[in-house]
Amino acid sequence: MDGPTLVARYTEMVRMRRFEEACLEGVPTREIHGELHTGIGQEAVAAGLIGTLRDDDALVSTHRSHLHALAKGVPARPMLAEIYERATGLCGGHGGHMHLFDLERRFSTTGIVGATLPVALGHAWAAQMEGRDSVAVGVTGDGGANTGGFHESLNMAGAWNLPLVVLIENNEWAISVPFTESTSTATLAERAAAYGAWGKRVDGLDVEAVAEAFAEAVAHARAGNGPAVLEATCYRFRGHFEGDLDLYRPAGEKDRRRQEHDPLPLTRARILERGAATEAQLDAAEAAVTAGIAADLAAVRADPMPDPATARDHVFAKGPSA
Amino acid sequence: MTTTTGVPARAGTDVRNINVSQCVAESLRLEMERDDRVVVFGEDVGLQGGVFGSTRGLQKAFGRDRVRDTPISEMAFTGAAVGLAMEGYRPVVEIMFVDFIGVCLEQVYNAAAKIRYMTGGRVGMPMVIKTAGGCIGSAAQHSQCLWGTFAHLPGLQVVAPSSPYDSKGLMAAAVRSDDPVVFIEHKGLLLQKAGTFTHGAQVPKESYTVPLGQASVVRPGSDLTLVTISATVGESLHAAEELAGEGVDVEVIDLRSVVPLDLDTVCASVARTGRLLVVDEDYLGFGLSGEVVTGVIERLGTRALSQVARHGTPDVPVPAALSLEQAVVPRRASIAQAVRDMGRAS
Repeated sequence: MDGPTLVARYTEMVRMRRFEEACLEGVPTREIHGELHTGIGQEAVAAGLIGTLRDDDALVSTHRSHLHALAKGVPARPMLAEIYERATGLCGGHGGHMHLFDLERRFSTTGIVGATLPVALGHAWAAQMEGRDSVAVGVTGDGGANTGGFHESLNMAGAWNLPLVVLIENNEWAISVPFTESTSTATLAERAAAYGAWGKRVDGLDVEAVAEAFAEAVAHARAGNGPAVLEATCYRFRGHFEGDLDLYRPAGEKDRRRQEHDPLPLTRARILERGAATEAQLDAAEAAVTAGIAADLAAVRADPMPDPATARDHVFAKGPSA
Repeated sequence: MTTTTGVPARAGTDVRNINVSQCVAESLRLEMERDDRVVVFGEDVGLQGGVFGSTRGLQKAFGRDRVRDTPISEMAFTGAAVGLAMEGYRPVVEIMFVDFIGVCLEQVYNAAAKIRYMTGGRVGMPMVIKTAGGCIGSAAQHSQCLWGTFAHLPGLQVVAPSSPYDSKGLMAAAVRSDDPVVFIEHKGLLLQKAGTFTHGAQVPKESYTVPLGQASVVRPGSDLTLVTISATVGESLHAAEELAGEGVDVEVIDLRSVVPLDLDTVCASVARTGRLLVVDEDYLGFGLSGEVVTGVIERLGTRALSQVARHGTPDVPVPAALSLEQAVVPRRASIAQAVRDMGRAS
């Protein structure tokens, strides 16, 4: 398979885990306010996107978006600064961790469940109008897949043959409501048929399987064959947000998943099994990305807070609003 | 490019007798010619040219890419406008009736309205949500104005024209604005011919804008300041004519937009007349009328006002029977009565 090597993807997964851990540090210290949602446990899905998407492809992500941003090439430093609510952040501290935007890389997020697909649809439409072979990826979860916008966007993309790729991270839980109790079909991928779309379900703990299926989905849309739906099964390791007591999931089940189904050690074991790298090489790669994120966090913590005088700026194009 | 002076044009021999929806369509056509980033889409806007004809001829002129009929999927296509804006387009999205925005309010107030702010000014949202409101006997779910609702949400400009001239000029300004505009046409005005208007009846063929946030004194007067917007401007002018015969000289101000709100023009008038009446076809409670009154008091102080009153649609859903609608919606007779009541109370 083309694209990054397994070692490169693994290294990126470790970087993603470290990034989320760096975010976790800001919660007890009250440097980060509001709800923080991390993608710990779901790194293999995000790392599977690397190498397939280009800067001219759009990616619209959710309240749990940090890993997708890294996969899209959004630089960690200004993103971490935004999450830490600093003036140096992607949005100057006006956005916060659920509202990350990088126009140059066509990356954006929304904190509203299910609201990603309609925006991605607009990007897909622009590509079609301009005769570009770009695609637009809309990320949603198993919860968001049950919103009306999912149906509307996929139907429109199917009717208009738009290059919309819907990536569903099915982590089995919409906060406290399990997938099995909220969804009418055994899988979400099978809904693709209703929209004349390409559809597939993939093991979201297997970064290579995700990468292959995602490349296939994007190729389908890029070639002008209309929308694609890729469902990646995974598991949220932490609560819905930091501070979520997460009592709705059996503790034994959580522990088992974290121990037996962590994509990081699974991927590392596969690399060693294949002899694609040595323990020492992997240790060195892990240490390098770990140090990189630590340096980013230290730098961010030294960054200034936004000037209170700017709190009323940017409501409209011209000057303060009030 | 010309801007209006706010002097009402009277119907005369030089009036092009087109209706308001044609003024809107003409404005969109000129803007689309001027800027190829402008695209128009929504239900029935293409082939049919809009249920009121306010996009008639556009698809023929610009093709199906730039003027497109959508499925009945407001969430999807209004959200698509947000994506298109991020791609550098200037979308004009038609939501057939303002009452239907409930299904895509998420896209309007959480995305379009907030993205400039949330990005610290890095990402603009130049889009127009073009829709029709107002009471025309269509009952509770098809008669609302809702400009007060949108005005309450930060990041949205809210426009509601009262005349043919303003409909064309304000739409042009809305399309050119770098910020989102909720543009609320009035269903009762859209099919009215320019010749029937007592103000803003002359519509130049060429392109012009009416700046957002600039109220217009449509009738000068010295006894009382009557502030209103949209179709009740015309109704208020009729009421003012009637009252003139009774010796009351009413100044009528058309706000034109709720956001930005031109309190300067209102205050200048109230400072002269000392009496303020706000007439609003939208729900009275927690809305435009309260905002105008409070804004004037904050600026001029309570002593500048000898009298303040509000006349709006009470906080009830709009009833179906015309006899019931007429009992709650401000129209010329009830507006004139509201002014007389103030006179009696003074």
